[in-house]
Amino acid sequence: MTVIPEHVRAQLKARFELRLTGPVHLTLYTRPGSSRLILPAGIGCATCDDARQMAELLRDAAPEQVTLEVVDTSRDPGRAEVDQVNDVPTIALGANGEPGRIRFQGLPTGTEFPALIDALERVSRAEHDLNAASLAELAKLSQPTEVMVFATPT
Amino acid sequence: MSLANRMALASPQVRAVCIEANEFPRLSAQFGVRGVPHTVINRDGAFVGALPEGEFVAAVLEGAGIPMEEQPGAAGPSTELSS
Repeated sequence: MTVIPEHVRAQLKARFELRLTGPVHLTLYTRPGSSRLILPAGIGCATCDDARQMAELLRDAAPEQVTLEVVDTSRDPGRAEVDQVNDVPTIALGANGEPGRIRFQGLPTGTEFPALIDALERVSRAEHDLNAASLAELAKLSQPTEVMVFATPT
Repeated sequence: MSLANRMALASPQVRAVCIEANEFPRLSAQFGVRGVPHTVINRDGAFVGALPEGEFVAAVLEGAGIPMEEQPGAAGPSTELSS
Protein backbone atom coordinates (compact mmCIF):
# COMPACT_ATOMS: atom_id res chain seq x y z
CA MET A 1 0.00 0.00 0.00
CA THR A 2 1.24 3.46 -0.84
CA VAL A 3 0.20 5.61 2.09
CA ILE A 4 1.17 8.92 0.51
CA PRO A 5 0.67 9.69 -3.20
CA GLU A 6 3.64 10.92 -5.23
CA HIS A 7 2.32 14.47 -5.68
CA VAL A 8 1.95 14.84 -1.91
CA ARG A 9 5.52 13.64 -1.46
CA ALA A 10 6.69 16.38 -3.84
CA GLN A 11 4.60 18.98 -2.00
CA LEU A 12 6.05 17.89 1.33
CA LYS A 13 9.60 18.15 0.06
CA ALA A 14 9.03 21.69 -1.22
CA ARG A 15 7.21 22.69 1.97
CA PHE A 16 9.88 21.31 4.30
CA GLU A 17 12.59 23.04 2.31
CA LEU A 18 10.96 26.35 3.20
CA ARG A 19 9.73 25.65 6.71
CA LEU A 20 12.20 23.40 8.53
CA THR A 21 14.92 25.32 10.29
CA GLY A 22 16.21 22.87 12.91
CA PRO A 23 16.60 19.15 13.49
CA VAL A 24 13.68 16.84 14.19
CA HIS A 25 14.15 13.35 15.53
CA LEU A 26 11.42 10.83 14.80
CA THR A 27 11.17 7.59 16.71
CA LEU A 28 8.89 4.94 15.29
CA TYR A 29 7.88 2.28 17.80
CA THR A 30 6.71 -0.74 15.87
CA ARG A 31 6.31 -4.49 15.74
CA PRO A 32 6.60 -6.81 12.76
CA GLY A 33 3.47 -6.18 10.69
CA SER A 34 0.70 -8.62 10.02
CA SER A 35 -0.77 -7.04 6.90
CA ARG A 36 -4.55 -6.75 7.23
CA LEU A 37 -5.01 -9.98 9.14
CA ILE A 38 -7.06 -9.71 12.31
CA LEU A 39 -5.03 -11.40 14.99
CA PRO A 40 -5.51 -11.83 18.73
CA ALA A 41 -4.66 -8.71 20.71
CA GLY A 42 -0.98 -8.15 21.19
CA ILE A 43 0.10 -10.13 18.14
CA GLY A 44 1.23 -8.40 15.00
CA CYS A 45 0.37 -4.87 13.98
CA ALA A 46 -1.98 -4.11 11.11
CA THR A 47 -0.74 -0.55 10.48
CA CYS A 48 2.94 -0.75 11.46
CA ASP A 49 4.14 -1.23 7.89
CA ASP A 50 2.15 1.80 6.74
CA ALA A 51 3.39 3.84 9.70
CA ARG A 52 6.95 2.95 8.75
CA GLN A 53 6.31 4.10 5.18
CA MET A 54 4.94 7.35 6.53
CA ALA A 55 7.88 7.93 8.87
CA GLU A 56 10.36 7.16 6.08
CA LEU A 57 8.49 9.55 3.81
CA LEU A 58 8.89 12.36 6.36
CA ARG A 59 12.60 11.63 6.75
CA ASP A 60 13.15 11.40 3.01
CA ALA A 61 11.36 14.70 2.43
CA ALA A 62 14.07 16.51 4.43
CA PRO A 63 16.93 14.10 5.16
CA GLU A 64 19.24 16.93 6.22
CA GLN A 65 16.87 17.93 9.05
CA VAL A 66 14.82 14.84 9.91
CA THR A 67 16.30 11.71 11.43
CA LEU A 68 14.43 8.48 12.02
CA GLU A 69 15.03 5.74 14.54
CA VAL A 70 12.95 2.56 14.37
CA VAL A 71 12.37 0.67 17.63
CA ASP A 72 10.99 -2.86 17.31
CA THR A 73 9.20 -3.26 20.63
CA SER A 74 9.01 -7.03 20.22
CA ARG A 75 12.81 -7.12 20.34
CA ASP A 76 13.30 -4.20 22.74
CA PRO A 77 10.30 -4.05 25.10
CA GLY A 78 12.39 -2.27 27.73
CA ARG A 79 12.87 0.72 25.48
CA ALA A 80 9.11 1.17 25.02
CA GLU A 81 8.68 0.97 28.78
CA VAL A 82 11.41 3.51 29.48
CA ASP A 83 9.99 5.88 26.86
CA GLN A 84 6.46 5.24 28.19
CA VAL A 85 5.10 4.11 24.85
CA ASN A 86 1.98 2.05 25.38
CA ASP A 87 1.17 0.65 21.96
CA VAL A 88 2.28 0.47 18.35
CA PRO A 89 2.61 2.00 15.92
CA THR A 90 3.65 5.20 17.69
CA ILE A 91 5.58 8.00 16.06
CA ALA A 92 7.31 10.31 18.56
CA LEU A 93 8.70 13.69 17.57
CA GLY A 94 11.45 15.50 19.41
CA ALA A 95 14.50 17.66 18.84
CA ASN A 96 18.13 16.68 19.29
CA GLY A 97 17.54 12.95 19.61
CA GLU A 98 15.48 13.20 22.81
CA PRO A 99 12.53 10.81 23.29
CA GLY A 100 9.79 12.96 21.82
CA ARG A 101 6.94 14.21 23.98
CA ILE A 102 4.69 14.69 20.96
CA ARG A 103 3.31 11.34 19.90
CA PHE A 104 0.93 9.90 17.36
CA GLN A 105 -0.39 6.47 18.30
CA GLY A 106 -1.90 4.66 15.32
CA LEU A 107 -1.59 5.58 11.67
CA PRO A 108 -2.12 9.36 11.36
CA THR A 109 -4.13 9.62 8.16
CA GLY A 110 -6.95 11.95 7.11
CA THR A 111 -7.24 14.98 9.37
CA GLU A 112 -4.46 13.62 11.60
CA PHE A 113 -1.85 13.82 8.84
CA PRO A 114 -1.84 17.65 8.71
CA ALA A 115 -1.52 17.63 12.51
CA LEU A 116 1.56 15.42 12.19
CA ILE A 117 3.09 17.77 9.62
CA ASP A 118 2.26 20.78 11.79
CA ALA A 119 3.88 19.14 14.80
CA LEU A 120 7.03 18.27 12.84
CA GLU A 121 7.38 21.83 11.59
CA ARG A 122 6.77 23.29 15.04
CA VAL A 123 9.43 21.04 16.58
CA SER A 124 11.86 22.04 13.86
CA ARG A 125 11.19 25.72 14.41
CA ALA A 126 10.78 25.42 18.22
CA GLU A 127 7.58 27.37 17.65
CA HIS A 128 4.66 26.71 19.97
CA ASP A 129 2.85 30.03 19.39
CA LEU A 130 1.11 29.91 22.76
CA ASN A 131 0.27 33.27 24.27
CA ALA A 132 1.92 34.68 27.40
CA ALA A 133 -1.07 33.88 29.63
CA SER A 134 -0.99 30.21 28.58
CA LEU A 135 2.76 30.00 29.19
CA ALA A 136 2.32 31.51 32.65
CA GLU A 137 -0.30 28.87 33.46
CA LEU A 138 1.81 26.04 32.04
CA ALA A 139 4.72 27.11 34.24
CA LYS A 140 2.63 25.99 37.22
CA LEU A 141 2.92 22.36 36.16
CA SER A 142 5.44 20.68 38.40
CA GLN A 143 4.58 17.07 37.59
CA PRO A 144 4.57 15.15 34.31
CA THR A 145 1.17 15.58 32.69
CA GLU A 146 -0.15 13.36 29.94
CA VAL A 147 -2.65 14.82 27.49
CA MET A 148 -4.28 12.12 25.38
CA VAL A 149 -6.36 13.34 22.44
CA PHE A 150 -8.53 10.74 20.73
CA ALA A 151 -9.21 11.62 17.12
CA THR A 152 -10.38 9.98 13.92
CA PRO A 153 -9.20 10.39 10.33
CA THR A 154 -12.50 11.99 9.20
CA MET B 1 -4.63 17.88 18.95
CA SER B 2 -2.55 20.80 17.76
CA LEU B 3 -2.96 22.64 21.08
CA ALA B 4 -1.85 19.58 23.04
CA ASN B 5 1.21 19.27 20.81
CA ARG B 6 2.00 22.96 21.23
CA MET B 7 1.73 22.59 25.01
CA ALA B 8 4.17 19.68 24.89
CA LEU B 9 6.54 21.85 22.93
CA ALA B 10 6.22 24.69 25.43
CA SER B 11 6.43 22.69 28.67
CA PRO B 12 8.82 19.85 29.51
CA GLN B 13 6.14 18.52 31.87
CA VAL B 14 3.62 17.84 29.11
CA ARG B 15 3.44 14.75 26.94
CA ALA B 16 0.85 14.88 24.14
CA VAL B 17 -0.42 11.65 22.64
CA CYS B 18 -2.76 11.78 19.66
CA ILE B 19 -4.55 8.45 19.43
CA GLU B 20 -6.34 7.14 16.37
CA ALA B 21 -9.57 6.16 18.11
CA ASN B 22 -10.75 3.62 15.53
CA GLU B 23 -7.47 1.76 15.64
CA PHE B 24 -7.55 1.29 19.40
CA PRO B 25 -11.20 0.50 20.16
CA ARG B 26 -10.53 -1.03 23.57
CA LEU B 27 -8.56 2.01 24.69
CA SER B 28 -11.29 4.26 23.30
CA ALA B 29 -13.94 2.27 25.19
CA GLN B 30 -11.83 2.38 28.36
CA PHE B 31 -11.91 6.18 28.27
CA GLY B 32 -15.53 6.42 27.13
CA VAL B 33 -14.77 7.97 23.76
CA ARG B 34 -18.03 8.62 21.88
CA GLY B 35 -17.09 11.77 20.02
CA VAL B 36 -13.87 13.42 18.91
CA PRO B 37 -11.72 15.18 19.78
CA HIS B 38 -11.91 13.55 23.21
CA THR B 39 -9.16 14.76 25.53
CA VAL B 40 -8.07 12.85 28.62
CA ILE B 41 -5.74 14.37 31.22
CA ASN B 42 -3.53 12.01 33.23
CA ARG B 43 -5.90 9.16 32.37
CA ASP B 44 -8.56 10.67 34.61
CA GLY B 45 -10.51 13.83 33.80
CA ALA B 46 -11.74 14.30 30.24
CA PHE B 47 -13.52 16.77 28.01
CA VAL B 48 -15.01 16.51 24.55
CA GLY B 49 -14.76 19.01 21.74
CA ALA B 50 -12.32 21.63 20.53
CA LEU B 51 -11.66 24.50 22.93
CA PRO B 52 -9.99 27.90 22.48
CA GLU B 53 -6.41 28.09 23.75
CA GLY B 54 -7.14 29.63 27.15
CA GLU B 55 -9.92 27.19 27.95
CA PHE B 56 -7.89 24.22 26.76
CA VAL B 57 -4.93 25.17 28.95
CA ALA B 58 -7.27 25.76 31.89
CA ALA B 59 -8.89 22.37 31.41
CA VAL B 60 -5.51 20.62 31.26
CA LEU B 61 -4.35 22.35 34.44
CA GLU B 62 -7.59 21.50 36.17
CA GLY B 63 -7.14 17.89 35.10
CA ALA B 64 -3.62 18.00 36.52
CA GLY B 65 -5.02 19.22 39.84
CA ILE B 66 -3.98 22.85 39.54
CA PRO B 67 -6.80 25.33 40.10
CA MET B 68 -6.94 28.31 37.79
CA GLU B 69 -6.78 31.78 39.26
CA GLU B 70 -9.88 33.87 38.75
CA GLN B 71 -9.28 36.56 36.15
CA PRO B 72 -11.56 39.59 36.15
CA GLY B 73 -14.06 39.37 33.34
CA ALA B 74 -12.73 36.06 32.07
CA ALA B 75 -15.11 33.21 31.52
CA GLY B 76 -14.07 29.81 32.81
CA PRO B 77 -13.87 26.67 30.74
CA SER B 78 -17.15 25.98 28.99
CA THR B 79 -16.64 22.27 29.27
CA GLU B 80 -16.37 20.81 32.71
CA LEU B 81 -14.04 17.93 33.33
CA SER B 82 -15.68 14.61 33.91
CA SER B 83 -13.89 11.69 35.44
